[in-house]
Amino acid sequence: MRNRRGSLGIITNNRHGVFQAEVLQGISEEARQAGYEIAVDSLAEDDRTPARAIALDPAAVAGLLVIANAASDDYLRRVHASGIPISLVSHQVPGTPVPAVLSNNSQGIGELVKHLVIRCKRHELVYIGGVAGQTDAVQRETAFQRELMRYNLHVPPERLLDGQFDPEIAASAVKKLVRSGAPFDAVLAADYLMAVSAIEELRASGIRVPQDVSVVGFGDAPKAEQAGLTTVAADITELGRRAARQLIGQIEGLEIGGVTVLSVELRVRASCGCHSGFHPQP
Amino acid sequence: MIRSGKATREQLRRHNRQLILRAIYTGLADSRAALAQETGLAKPTVSDVISELIAEGLIVEGGHGPVTDAGGKPPRLLEFVPDSRQVIGVSIKTDHVRGVLANLNGQVSAEHYAELGSAQGQDVIALLQQVINGLVAQLDAQLLCIGVGVSGNVNKEAGVVQHAPHFGWHNVPLARILSERYARPVYVASSTELAAMEQFMFGVPDTVQNLVTVLVNNRVGIGIVFEGGSYHNGSDIGCMQIIPWNPDPSIPQSAAGLEYLLGWSYIEQRAAVLRQRFPATRLPARELNYLHIRHAAANGDPAALLLQQELAGHLGYVFAWVVTLLRPDHVSLAGRIANLGEPLLTLAVARARELLHENAMEQVTFSLAESFNLVAVGAVAYTLQKELGLV
Repeated sequence: MRNRRGSLGIITNNRHGVFQAEVLQGISEEARQAGYEIAVDSLAEDDRTPARAIALDPAAVAGLLVIANAASDDYLRRVHASGIPISLVSHQVPGTPVPAVLSNNSQGIGELVKHLVIRCKRHELVYIGGVAGQTDAVQRETAFQRELMRYNLHVPPERLLDGQFDPEIAASAVKKLVRSGAPFDAVLAADYLMAVSAIEELRASGIRVPQDVSVVGFGDAPKAEQAGLTTVAADITELGRRAARQLIGQIEGLEIGGVTVLSVELRVRASCGCHSGFHPQP
Repeated sequence: MIRSGKATREQLRRHNRQLILRAIYTGLADSRAALAQETGLAKPTVSDVISELIAEGLIVEGGHGPVTDAGGKPPRLLEFVPDSRQVIGVSIKTDHVRGVLANLNGQVSAEHYAELGSAQGQDVIALLQQVINGLVAQLDAQLLCIGVGVSGNVNKEAGVVQHAPHFGWHNVPLARILSERYARPVYVASSTELAAMEQFMFGVPDTVQNLVTVLVNNRVGIGIVFEGGSYHNGSDIGCMQIIPWNPDPSIPQSAAGLEYLLGWSYIEQRAAVLRQRFPATRLPARELNYLHIRHAAANGDPAALLLQQELAGHLGYVFAWVVTLLRPDHVSLAGRIANLGEPLLTLAVARARELLHENAMEQVTFSLAESFNLVAVGAVAYTLQKELGLV
């Protein structure tokens, strides 16, 4: 019997975005298995259109999943306070117990920096950041800064690039950096799409990857594998699946507070230069 | 205490089951005949236990092994199924609760944490349950049992937290409360013991037989592993008074407790004093953390170097006591202070060497344990040992 348990409401800023689409796939799989329908409220149909207001009525669904920064913290607090089960995907509301599911950003960035510094012997790092204020972006940048202290590295402001999780913006920031003549020997991007686009831009500028510059990024997907990108694999579909489980757990009576964190796994490929025994000259 | 014939049979059954499971788990034997030989149990007993373990899904029959010299049918090989059950390990720290969900090999598939804020008494138990619930929602297999590490004095046989002053806990029957709630066996032990267990299982070379883990957070604890697997309850030595080591005249020369001298509030106070003396210091006035101190010291910052030296001096006492009293092969330093890295460890070892005669330190190696999940993973290892006789 379908829909015997009601629907999981999902609020997302753009259901076609690479990240959001994978999360939605995971949620759908888990919901179907557990006997729930899903009701998606996508606030836009692409990244360029401004988001419209939320139309979904939280009281009309069994529980609510909100992907990334699709709803304001005030809205999330209100829904949580009203007692409607709610789980956040890749987002946290500071100072509240609204439960969430996140990739382990700090572990992932830690592994990437450690790999670049210890294995690849790189010390002149460039960081390409995500969308300002978004939880994953904030946690990854904070972790990057912490790892710089751990390994006693200095990254001047001109090597901290704003990529906004957008491959085109990331590419133009890399182009500008190359033109400035600032020295660097490694690029760490806050997501794999920006990292792949950085590789393309560096090569187009005549810089060899990985011989001259190592490039690594957060997250894995077929596109990252095709590009030979060294990454930490954060399985986004799994993130969606786990978030659905957290919400269903609450709907079915588990009182949950705090954050579920999913481990990530380092995948060494060609783009960092230490793969298959190749060691770039310092 | 053994009270009746029934209890004796039950204990014997459990013992045999653990012997057999451990032999398969560690790869010592992989067929019924080999198990009988390895464990010394009668073949019918082995067969009964194997049938039971297969029915429970903990082991499966795989392919056929080679025919033995005695001839007959080739034996069916037995394989352990690590994903047949999951366990939850939780660590209750002074400011947050952190749990992990792992399979029977100790592989972690999800973590969950929640801030404690100023929670006390019952509220801490409620938050602990919210963390466990967060992991229960993520189960991929049946939950076998739950292990909990508490920063405090624990009677692990009774599962009672005798004293955890930070939460206002006195004689809290935590194992009973949680096993009633989740209808599963629950094991409770001190964080220090579990940290040592994690280090022994996953953090140091197999050659280490006697290990001491010094766990420094807001308390100072000593976890001990003797002769490759006998775990001591863990001791809290934070209240021991020492005269602070004095590389700098601005340090007060009155005796103070170790947990105070190695605790974060002392570090913040000292940083404030040193900031006045060295106004150009890189140590930030706000949101100071261990990595700031490590980074500043690595760049020759005089305030950070002094602070690092002081902390190493205090730790040096702990290392000297540990080495003199317990003669371990290895000492690992765990807890947030480990974020100060190798320079702190090197200085602390050097200080301990000054306090003892040269030879005392020769046979001992030292390392840092920087994992976030040390105690929670230790709790997983502990439950596997208690429940299945593994590890």
